[in-house]
Amino acid sequence: MTVSITRRLLLGAAMALGLAGAAAAEYPERPITLVIPFAAGGSTDVVGRIVADRMSQELGQQVIVQNVGGAGGSLGAGQVAKADPDGYTILMATVATHALNPLILKQKPYDPVADFAPISLLVLVPNVLAVNPELPVNSVQELIDLAKKEPLAYASSGNGTPLHLSGELFKAMAGIDVTHIPYKGSGPALTDVLGNQVPIIFDNLPSASSHIASGKLRALGVTTKERAPSFPDVPAIAETLPGYETYTWNALFAPAGTPPEVIERLSAAAKAAMADPAVAERMKDFSATIVASGPEELAEHVKAEMAKWEPVVRDANVSLD
Amino acid sequence: MDLISNLALGFSVASSFANLAFCLIGVLLGTLIGVLPGIGATATIAMLLPITFQLEPVSSLIMLAGIYYGAQYGGSTTAILINMPGESSSAVTAIDGYQMARKGRAGTALAVAALGSFFAGTVSTFLVAIFAPPLTEVALKFGAAEYFSLMVMGLVMSVALAHGSVVKALAMVVLGLLLGLVGTDIYTGAPRFTMGITQYADGLNFVAVAVGVFGIAEILRNLEDEHDREVMTKNITRLFPTRQELKQMIGPVLRGTGVGSVLGILPGGGAILASFASYTVEKKLSAHPEEFGQGALAGVAGPESANNAGAQTSFIPLLTLGIPANPVMALMIGAMIIQGIVPGPNVVSEQPRLFWGIIASMWIGNLMLVVLNLPLIGLWVRLLTVPYYVLFPIIMAMCSIGVYSVASNTYDLFAVAFFGLLGYVMSKLRCEPAPLLLGFVLGPLLEENLRRAMILSRGDPTTFLTRPISATLLLLSLGVLILVFMPQIRKRRDEVFTESDA
Repeated sequence: MTVSITRRLLLGAAMALGLAGAAAAEYPERPITLVIPFAAGGSTDVVGRIVADRMSQELGQQVIVQNVGGAGGSLGAGQVAKADPDGYTILMATVATHALNPLILKQKPYDPVADFAPISLLVLVPNVLAVNPELPVNSVQELIDLAKKEPLAYASSGNGTPLHLSGELFKAMAGIDVTHIPYKGSGPALTDVLGNQVPIIFDNLPSASSHIASGKLRALGVTTKERAPSFPDVPAIAETLPGYETYTWNALFAPAGTPPEVIERLSAAAKAAMADPAVAERMKDFSATIVASGPEELAEHVKAEMAKWEPVVRDANVSLD
Repeated sequence: MDLISNLALGFSVASSFANLAFCLIGVLLGTLIGVLPGIGATATIAMLLPITFQLEPVSSLIMLAGIYYGAQYGGSTTAILINMPGESSSAVTAIDGYQMARKGRAGTALAVAALGSFFAGTVSTFLVAIFAPPLTEVALKFGAAEYFSLMVMGLVMSVALAHGSVVKALAMVVLGLLLGLVGTDIYTGAPRFTMGITQYADGLNFVAVAVGVFGIAEILRNLEDEHDREVMTKNITRLFPTRQELKQMIGPVLRGTGVGSVLGILPGGGAILASFASYTVEKKLSAHPEEFGQGALAGVAGPESANNAGAQTSFIPLLTLGIPANPVMALMIGAMIIQGIVPGPNVVSEQPRLFWGIIASMWIGNLMLVVLNLPLIGLWVRLLTVPYYVLFPIIMAMCSIGVYSVASNTYDLFAVAFFGLLGYVMSKLRCEPAPLLLGFVLGPLLEENLRRAMILSRGDPTTFLTRPISATLLLLSLGVLILVFMPQIRKRRDEVFTESDA
């Protein structure tokens, strides 16, 4: 394992040196493919398309979005891991592809650290704990008390997703047992909670926000350490359970071995794109917090996330073949 | 009246020059991609999303919606002409539509499909306008138990789809159910029957299976016996239905519209059932059930109306809840968010121009489709006269491009090849592909909802009987089952079987 990683790094460095002179001068000289490892229409897709559109203007070359959905994001991420490290194939990664899947999957299709060159951590997206208004609870504490008295169930977008694990972390920290009901994506999970088929949901804040605003869902708490600017009245779960913190994030990665000049160029373009007021406005509508970090911060972020989720995944006993 | 003023607002938005133009572009593109076998609305809309950045929100959504229902029209064209359904809904049209085409009535079948769709589109557009909010409430009453019972009803009905032996139909349904199991178990995460191939972790691609068992199998069959094709192209007598045929289609179209409108509202699987359910109803009500599968007019008119009505009413959960009923709707939501519109219950009150504009444009788009498609029928039928050594390779290439474009997955192409061969073997054994497809589509939904209902009820199976909607659906399924196995009907079935065997 160590040998192969070292070899890969050496190989990457050699390629980087070789390509640096020729490629960096004119990069990008043809369209860049941004692989989104989920189906079109979801929240990662929307963030990706907005960023791709703005980055195209920055780079003077079209950034083309390609959706390679499947296996919880692993297919698309695996494809980019194996792509030529020339800066013309990049990945829109998430907490799923670069922290959870590598921890959960028994068969690891790629290494989130060794196979990728980080570009930029773009945004953090809060998750939210919400209930159908018919459930007689108004706060996180009341929900915990109720769960100790009677059996409850919560819906999530699927087994092993960030939302499922947010729920499992919540159960572990609150010391309660709530049955997990997985769905195929957030849409059907929301439908069933709106119809009170299942009383509780962990969802991305963007996808649940309009239902919270209209009163069809009662938000009990956001999963970030602090309250979300778009919903200042909704407390953070951490106010009841100190230390509770989860969120979804989106970041750009290139295959390992991509020349550093190219990474710099992409990182600068991503930063510029996120600084655009129109993009900032869209992200705010979306309840996403802009980070627009550099490559080093993203590398640190991935390590921190893997360290944070490792015990949760272990304790929740989630593992997929 | 609110409704009148709302519709007036909608039509004033939808009939601006720019919006009419985008509506036309949408339905044209939709028809075109519908006619190209395999290339679906999902792939096209995904490809066009970046373009919509530059457009007004209303215009872009009008265009995307146009692509969606335009593709429904176009999809029936390939189902009828070359037995190549691009979506689950047109799989049913292929059964009798293709038989009509083989008997030289391709023009009639296409005209009936277009007129039926137009009528259904008109009625369901008004349903969306009048009943969208209350209908949403009905959809929310459907939980896991109700969906399970609905799927049971769908499967029971699927047996009636076959025009051969009941046993073979059942076998095909079961095979379809088994194929539907391929992929990751959503409750445990265990991969099932994926043969260790990650690309099949999310299951087999519907388009790949449908194109294989219907289209590729049909091409193989035709290559073996070329005479069929010659007969088919020489027998085209007239393009448009006679007055009597028009009269015959009134009943099926009305019933299909009703069935489709109701089922289309249910997010997650309702719309899939619409055309299957309508076909079953027509076959049961028909005075000549033996014609079904041999080119029955009602077998085209009913399901086509049902699928178009379902396509329109599936906008209800999208517009009132912001919840997508299918992948195309998910893309529309993405398009709305990119435009800065948060889809959800507030769209109607906050964006009345957008909401009513889209609804009005649906009707205008349906009108455009009829005007476009009726004159084109002659052209489509002429396609059949293209020699097979030109036509078949083109179809195969188009299919491959289309299937690949859905998820950029090469393993989907292997699936097309495999299911093409399977379909060929099935046709040799006189097994019908339609029940297989229905089993394939409904199986995963059946399992998912059965297990979810059982988890929610904590292992108590009476949940299916104590919930009124679920109990009603199960009773209806029992009724259909009794009808299917009643001696008299069985006898009639056997007669049909002998006839088609002869």
